[in-house]
Amino acid sequence: MRRVAAVAVNTFRETIRDRILGVIILFALAMIVASLWLASISLGQEGRMIKDFGLVAISLFGLIVAAFVAASLVRKEVDKRTVFIIFSKPVSRSEFIWGKFLGLAATMFVVLMGMTAFLFALAWIVAHGPQGSLLVAGLLIYLQLLVVMAMTMLFSTLTSAILASVWGICVYAAGQLSHNVLSLSRLGHSGVTHVMSRVVFYVVPNLSAIDVRGAVVGEGAMSHTSILAWSGYLVAYLVVALFAATWIFARKEF
Amino acid sequence: MRAAVTDEQMSSEHPSPAATDLRDTIARALEVRDLRKTVAVGFRRRKVEILRGVDLEVREGDVFGLLGPNGAGKTTTLKVVLGLMRPTSGSVTLGVDGLGELGYLPENPYFYDYLTGAEFLQFCARLFSLDGEERGRRVAAILAEVGLERAAGVQLRKYSKGMLQRIGIAQALINEPRFVLLDEPMTGLDPIGRVEVKEIIQRLHERGTTVLFNSHILADVAAVCTRIAIMREGRVLWQGTVDDALASSPGADLERFFMQVVGS
Repeated sequence: MRRVAAVAVNTFRETIRDRILGVIILFALAMIVASLWLASISLGQEGRMIKDFGLVAISLFGLIVAAFVAASLVRKEVDKRTVFIIFSKPVSRSEFIWGKFLGLAATMFVVLMGMTAFLFALAWIVAHGPQGSLLVAGLLIYLQLLVVMAMTMLFSTLTSAILASVWGICVYAAGQLSHNVLSLSRLGHSGVTHVMSRVVFYVVPNLSAIDVRGAVVGEGAMSHTSILAWSGYLVAYLVVALFAATWIFARKEF
Repeated sequence: MRAAVTDEQMSSEHPSPAATDLRDTIARALEVRDLRKTVAVGFRRRKVEILRGVDLEVREGDVFGLLGPNGAGKTTTLKVVLGLMRPTSGSVTLGVDGLGELGYLPENPYFYDYLTGAEFLQFCARLFSLDGEERGRRVAAILAEVGLERAAGVQLRKYSKGMLQRIGIAQALINEPRFVLLDEPMTGLDPIGRVEVKEIIQRLHERGTTVLFNSHILADVAAVCTRIAIMREGRVLWQGTVDDALASSPGADLERFFMQVVGS
């Protein structure tokens, strides 16, 4: 456990100081501020526009961090031979993978909560009151991105960093649509389509299940029980993905 | 010119029974027996035998130089010893108690750009589960040993090649290992850097630490090694003391001896 913590702290320090991360955060904050302009041209919908546009910006830039940083996290250490140094010390492959994930998860938490706090303050000013649902939405976006990170790390043990990033983004896109795939299959009568839709629904993480953007802007609502249940499912999903990554990584030679 | 190695020159590799008895009383830091490694390369997964029956013996307290041309299998041998690669067959026996007593510096190492030298060494010390006070003591001592106290707070991306090599050696020594493996520790260093690395190896030898290192620079090997092995195409062609090698060579020249063994 001490070695997992050591790898995690090291990963957090390395990623949080990376200049690329600073640039991404600046772009995200600029985009959130740009929502003020959109709000100014949407009569009577200023608060809603800022919240909606701001959450999209947080998801988008969070996804960039999750997919690109997670892909390079393990791959870069293999390509640049840092793993030689790590694994010549009494560190197991699973301690390395879990430490890397937890370190990036901590970085992602700081980044996402920072952006969410900024959006929260902006929405408070524009809507003349605190919008607590934004904080919940920020936490759920964080959980979605943790799943993307775990899947991207799994892919990066199999392929190049760039391909792993692309696959990670595909998982995010498919995860946002998996509910729709199931709904659409019910409209048709083809057994094959129905089975295929079920397979996609179970294999791809159902990220849309905890997408509360609609509820935040006042379009429908989600029960707390449902959010908790689907959150549990996503945590289980990312744990399985990390165990798979560990299993593959343990078989690698350097 | 290609020269054959004489029976006398090969004697260190094939000792007499009496010598074998004597050898059994000497503690070994590493014993490698008939080590073979085959890898699949390319799209068609063509099998290539990198190690073809390596036999190697490093005694405790040795400064052991592993020599050979590029592609001889030196780095692969070290990787198998460290468990970074699995052997296809053969055995590796370490005289130390696992990775906790080993130190390793890879060739052309890359470290974390955004960490300072002290943070990086703290991280390495944590991997050995050392407590806070002990970590602080060792980091300070090792920074002084490699002459990087003043650069301890500087991020590694601002280090020169020589400084990176020294921090690499520092991380290999942070656990005060009994056995240190250095892969091309002097490659790319200027003459001052090479002297500094040689001095570090000498100090380790004086403390009784076993050192095994790969190198292409034969003058450095002659200066610091007590024993050497010469590899080519995945096999050890010769191993013995540096004195034996020099005595077997016309003009007591290690370079000539090396060329004799591997062929020109």
